[in-house]
Amino acid sequence: MTKKLDPFTRENISQSLLAAADEMFYTWGRTSQSTIIYEVLDYACGLTDAEGHLIGQANGATMFLGAITFSAKAVLEKFGKENLKPGDMFLTNDPYTGSGTHLCDVAAVLPIFYEGELVMFAVNKGHWNEIGGTNLGSWATDTKEIFQEGLILPDIRIYDGGVFNESVKDIIAANCRTPEMTLGDLYAQTAALKTAESRILEIFDKYGRDNVIESLEYILDNGRKLALLELQKMPKGTFYAEDILDTNSNNVEDIPIKVKVTITDDTFELDYTGTGDAVFAPINCSYYGALSGARIVYQALVSPHTAANDGFYSPIKVIAPENCLFNAKKPYPVSCDWEPIQILTDVVLKAMAPAMPERVAAGHFLSIVGTIIGGIDDKTGSPFVLSEPQAGGWGAGYNKDGENGLVAICDGETYVIPVEVCEFRYPLRVEQFAFNPVSGAGEYRGGKGLIRDYRVLNSNAELTTMASRYKYPPWGFAGGKDGSPNAVTLFKADGSSAETRATWSHEPMVEGDLVRFITGGGGGYGDPLKRPVESVLRDIRDEMITIEEARQDYGVVIDEESGELDEEATRLARQ
Amino acid sequence: MTRVATDIGGTFTDLVALDGNGKLITLKSHTTPPNFENGVLNVIEESGLPANEIEMFLHGTTTIINALTERSGAKTALITTKGFRDILEIARCNRPDLFNLVFAKPRPFVPRYLRLEVTERVATDGSIVTELVEDDVLQCVEALKKEGVESIAICFINSYINDKHEMRALEIVKAAWPEVFVTASAEVTREWREYERTSTVVLNSYVMPIASSYLDRLDAGLQADGIFGRKYVMQSNGGSTTFELARRTPINLLESGPVAGVLGSAILGGMIGEENIISMDIGGTTAKCSLIDKGQANITTEYRIERTERYAGYPVMVPVIDIVEIGNGGGSIAHVDAAGSLRVGPNSAGAKPGPVAYGLGGTEPTTTDACLVTGRLSGEYFDNPVDLDLIRAAIEEKIAKPLGISCEQAALDIIRVAESNMVNALKLISVRRGYDPREFVMVAHGGGGPMHSAALARDLMAHRVIVPNSAAVFSAWGMLMTDIRHDWIRTHICPLETTPAAEINAIWSELKTKADERMHAEGLGDNEIQYQAVVDMRYQGQEHTVPVMTVDNWEDDTGLGLVESFHQRHEHFYTFRLDGTPVEIVNFHLIALGILDKPELAKIPVLEGEEITPIGERKVLYEDGIWRDTPVYFRPDLKAGFSAAGPLLVDEKTATTVVLPGQELMVDEYGNLIIETGVKRHESSK
Repeated sequence: MTKKLDPFTRENISQSLLAAADEMFYTWGRTSQSTIIYEVLDYACGLTDAEGHLIGQANGATMFLGAITFSAKAVLEKFGKENLKPGDMFLTNDPYTGSGTHLCDVAAVLPIFYEGELVMFAVNKGHWNEIGGTNLGSWATDTKEIFQEGLILPDIRIYDGGVFNESVKDIIAANCRTPEMTLGDLYAQTAALKTAESRILEIFDKYGRDNVIESLEYILDNGRKLALLELQKMPKGTFYAEDILDTNSNNVEDIPIKVKVTITDDTFELDYTGTGDAVFAPINCSYYGALSGARIVYQALVSPHTAANDGFYSPIKVIAPENCLFNAKKPYPVSCDWEPIQILTDVVLKAMAPAMPERVAAGHFLSIVGTIIGGIDDKTGSPFVLSEPQAGGWGAGYNKDGENGLVAICDGETYVIPVEVCEFRYPLRVEQFAFNPVSGAGEYRGGKGLIRDYRVLNSNAELTTMASRYKYPPWGFAGGKDGSPNAVTLFKADGSSAETRATWSHEPMVEGDLVRFITGGGGGYGDPLKRPVESVLRDIRDEMITIEEARQDYGVVIDEESGELDEEATRLARQ
Repeated sequence: MTRVATDIGGTFTDLVALDGNGKLITLKSHTTPPNFENGVLNVIEESGLPANEIEMFLHGTTTIINALTERSGAKTALITTKGFRDILEIARCNRPDLFNLVFAKPRPFVPRYLRLEVTERVATDGSIVTELVEDDVLQCVEALKKEGVESIAICFINSYINDKHEMRALEIVKAAWPEVFVTASAEVTREWREYERTSTVVLNSYVMPIASSYLDRLDAGLQADGIFGRKYVMQSNGGSTTFELARRTPINLLESGPVAGVLGSAILGGMIGEENIISMDIGGTTAKCSLIDKGQANITTEYRIERTERYAGYPVMVPVIDIVEIGNGGGSIAHVDAAGSLRVGPNSAGAKPGPVAYGLGGTEPTTTDACLVTGRLSGEYFDNPVDLDLIRAAIEEKIAKPLGISCEQAALDIIRVAESNMVNALKLISVRRGYDPREFVMVAHGGGGPMHSAALARDLMAHRVIVPNSAAVFSAWGMLMTDIRHDWIRTHICPLETTPAAEINAIWSELKTKADERMHAEGLGDNEIQYQAVVDMRYQGQEHTVPVMTVDNWEDDTGLGLVESFHQRHEHFYTFRLDGTPVEIVNFHLIALGILDKPELAKIPVLEGEEITPIGERKVLYEDGIWRDTPVYFRPDLKAGFSAAGPLLVDEKTATTVVLPGQELMVDEYGNLIIETGVKRHESSK
C-alpha cells in the first residue's frame, strides 16, 4: 500500500465495520425465537480478519469475550485457510477447541470472500434453548462427563459451498427436546451472519479492498497501542492471590484457586499454577473458557470502555496447567462453567485490589446461582420451566458503598424476571423479594444481596440450582470486612425440614414447599471505624444495619432508652 | 379568534400563534428559570396578541423533567405490599456498563426508611390471597406525617389485574391526611411489571406538588393578563389535556415539548400527502429523531429517564411517543481522543459559553463553529459580531494540529462525524426496526435540522426532505395542531382465539367508562370523542408484544380475524412468523381523542413567472473537498412553485437550509422547502 488513508475515511471504515457487528447483534436479537437470546441477551456477535483476529464485537453478557476469536481460529486450524470456500459456514460448541463455554452456547463461523479472496470472518455465538443432555434447559448441576451434557458439534461444516447439510440438521433435531426451537435458533443465527456478510461486502465495494484491509490493520494496531498506553498506567510487578471454589456439586468440596499476576509494560500474564485439578462435576472450564475469563478481568482492570479487539487483547497471556480446573480436557464436564470462569476473574481482582483500589471493588457474591424450577403444571398438563440467574451484592469501592442487587460479573445486560411475570407464567408465588441485610462492614459498606422466596403452588416441581461462595464469602479489602455467603434453603411444606445447600439437583418438591434463594452481600472497603457517623446513622434509619452491628462493627453507640446517638460512648468505641 | 402555543426550551421559550385570518405568528423569548411561567407571559406580551382574542392556549413545559433531573421534587414516600419494599431499589439488577467494577446503579427517589409495607396480597389471577389490613395503612400515615413527607405513592403487587386494595388504601390515606399529595399506581398505569410500575407512580408523586404549583401560577398569570380561553398542556403521548387533569398525573407531561415536534411532523405530512415520515429535530445539545409509520407515531411505554448505553435510568411506564435522542447538536464539542480519533459530542458548550462563535468565552470548537468555517452558516444572523479568526484558531489548535490536517479540512470532518453520529441514530429508529428509509421523507426542524438534513437524508437513503415553515419553533407549531388525548392500557393476558368476546368486551367497556368520565371532565361532548382500540399481542411463550389495531366492541369472530394481522405485524418487526403457535393478548389499549378543530393555514403567494434572485453568494466547502460559490436565497423572498438546483443555501433569521450539489429545491404552497435528495423513492410493497 503506497497511499495512507486519510483519518476520516479510515475512521469511517472502522465505524462501518463496527456497525456491521452491531447490526448482526441486533438482527439476531430481532429474529430469534429464543427468549434466552432476545430477552437475556446471552449471545455475542463479532468480526475477525482473515487470520481470526477479532476486529470488533457486540455483547449482551461478558462471558463471550473470547468466543469470536477462538471459534474462527478453531475453524482455520481444523480446515486450513486453503480449504475454505465461499458459501461455507461452520458450527461449533466444542468447549475444548475454540468455542470455549458449555454446550448450549453454539458458535457459527462464516468466512467472507471478496473477489475470491478470504478477507474476514463473521462469527456469532449464543445460548440455544435446547441441545439435549440430561434435563430440560440443557444444563445441569450434577453431570460427571461431557456426554451427559448434550450434543457436541465439533467445528463442523454445516453449509458446504452454499449447500445446507441436511443430515447434520437431522442429527441436531433428533438430539433435542424442542427441535423446532433449536433449528429456529440455527436459522436466525445464520441469517444474522448473512446480514453481516452483505454489509461487509458493501464496505469493500464502497472503499476498495486495499483501504478496508488497511483499516483492519489499523484497528488492531490502534488497539495494541491503546493497550500499551493503559498498561503504562498500571502498577507493575507480580501479584498473588488465592481462593476456594466451593459449590459442593457431586459432593466435590473446596477446590483451591491460585493465581500469579504479572504486569509489565507489554504483558498481562495470569498464571494459575497451583489451582486444583479438573473434577467430575460440571464446574470445570476449558482453556478457551479461561481465556474468555482472562479477557473479562483484563478489560475491567486495564480499560473498561475500550472497544474489544485482538490488538487490545494482545498483551494477555494465560498459563493453566494441563488438566487443571481451568484447562479441563474431554470428558470433564463443563455445564456450569460460569462458576470457575467467574472465580478465575475474581481471584485476579483480589490480587490486584491493593494496588489498584480506584478501579477494583471488594469481592461480590460471584455466583450466577443459576436456577431451574420445573414440573408439569396441574392446570394445563404441560411442562413449565423457570430458568433464571439470581442477582446479589457487590463489593464496596474506594469511594462508594457496594451496589445492592446486581447480576454477577459473567452476566451483564441481564434482567431479573419481574415477580408479576413470574407468578403469571409459573405455578409459583413470590413471597418476598428483599435485601439480605448482611454484608461486609467497612468505611464503605458492601452492597446487599437479595432474598427471593418461591412458594410452590403445584402438586409437583423440581429444583436444580448451584451456588458457589456458600462457605467462603466475598472478600473485603483495605480493612473492610468480608461479605456474606450465598445459600439455597428448601422449607418443606409439612414442616419436616428446612435444609440449606449450595447445590440442588432435580430435588422433588410438592405444593406448599418454599425455596429461599439468599445471595451474598459484597465485601466492605476500609476500616469500618472510619465510616462517618452520619452514614452509620443513615444505615440504621434505613434498616440496612442493626443497632447491634452499628456498635460492634462501626463503634457507633445508640442509647437504648432514648434511641439517640451516645456521642461519648461512640468516641470511646472508635478510638 | 386566536390560538396560541408556547413551548419552553432550555434557552428560549417559543411562541407560535394563528390569528383569526390564518396568519402565523412566531416568536422566541428568553426562558426564565426558575419561574418559567414568566417567560411564557413575556413572550405572549411581546407577540402583541390581544388577550381577549386568545380562545385557546396550548403549552409545553420542561418543568416536570427538570424537577426529576435536578432532583428538586417533593419528599416522597412509598406504601407497598409486605415483602416488597426493596423492589424500587432492587430494580432489574442489570449491569449495562459491562466491565466497570465500580458501576453505580440508579439511586431510588424514595429512601428505604420512607418505603413502608402493609399486609395484603392479590394473586396473579386477581383473587385475594390476604385481605388488606386497613390499620397498617393508618399506621403508615402516622409514621409518614412524623417524617414530614409531602407526597405518597402506593403500589401493590398484582394491582394491574385487581386494584381494589390499592384504591382502598388510597381512600384511607386521603381521608386520614387530606393535605398530602398521593397517587396509587392504578391511577397512572395498569400494566404489569412491579418495578416499572412502582417507579412510575413514585416519580408521579415526586413531581406532583411542583407540577401543581407551576400550573397554578401559570393559570393565575394568564388570568391576570386577561386570558380566559381554554387552556391545555401537552402530554408525552402526543395529545393535550386540561390543566386540571394534568395536576393529577403530571408524569404524563415529561416529554411534552419534543413529542410536539414529532406530532407536528405527522400533521404536516398529512397536509401534504406524506404518511411515512422521519422527524429530525436538531437543537443546541441534542438531536432527536422519531419515525411515523402510515401517519401514526410509535407510542411506547418502555420510556426511561436518564437512560444511556451504560446506565439503566428510571422507567416511566406511561405512553410516550418513541424518540431516539443523541448528544449531537449545534453546540456539541469536537475533540480528538486519546487514540487520535475525531469525536463530536456528547458534551455540549450549552448556551453559555456556547460555541466559540457566540463570543461569550467559549474556546472549544463546536459543530456550529465548523458550519461557519465551511461557509454553511453566515455570521450575520448571530446576535453578536462573529470573529471567524477566533473560530479558526480554536479548530486549528484543538483539531487540525493534532490530526495534521488543515483547519478547513478539520471543520469539514467535524460536520461529517456529527452527521455520521446522527445517521446512526436514524438507523436505530428505521432500518433496525424493519423499516426501509427509501419509503420515508424526512421532516427537518429545530435550529439545526435544516442545516444537516439534506446530507442525513441522502446517507440514510430517504428521498425527500421537508423543511417546514417555522422549522425553528416547530414544536410549538405542532402543539397548535394537537387533539386532546388520553390512553388507558390494561394488562390482561388471555388467548386471542378462544377468549369469549363477552370477556373481552367487559374490559373494553370498563376502559370506555373510565375514558368517558375523563373526556367529559375535559369538557367534551360525546360527539367530539373518538376511540381507537389497540391490542398488544404475542406468541404464547414469548415476551415481546406487537400492537395491532382493532375495534372496541368485539364480535365472536373478531379475535380470529386478528390472527393474520398479528402474524404480519410480527413478521414486519421480528422477521419471522410462527404459524400454528397460539397467540395471546397481553395489553388492552384504548385511546380516546377529543378532536379540536384545526386552524386553516394561510398559503404563501404563488410564483407568477417573476425571477427570484439570490441575496448573495457564499463560498461553501463540500464533502468532496471542493469550495463552490453557492447562491444564497432569503426564505421570505421565496414563493410557491419556486424551484432551483443545488448547491444552494436558504437563509432565514433562525436557520439556514443547505441543499447539496445534485439535489433539487422546491417551495410548496404553504412555504415548506422541499428537497429532493437524489435518492430514488421506493414505494412500500406492503
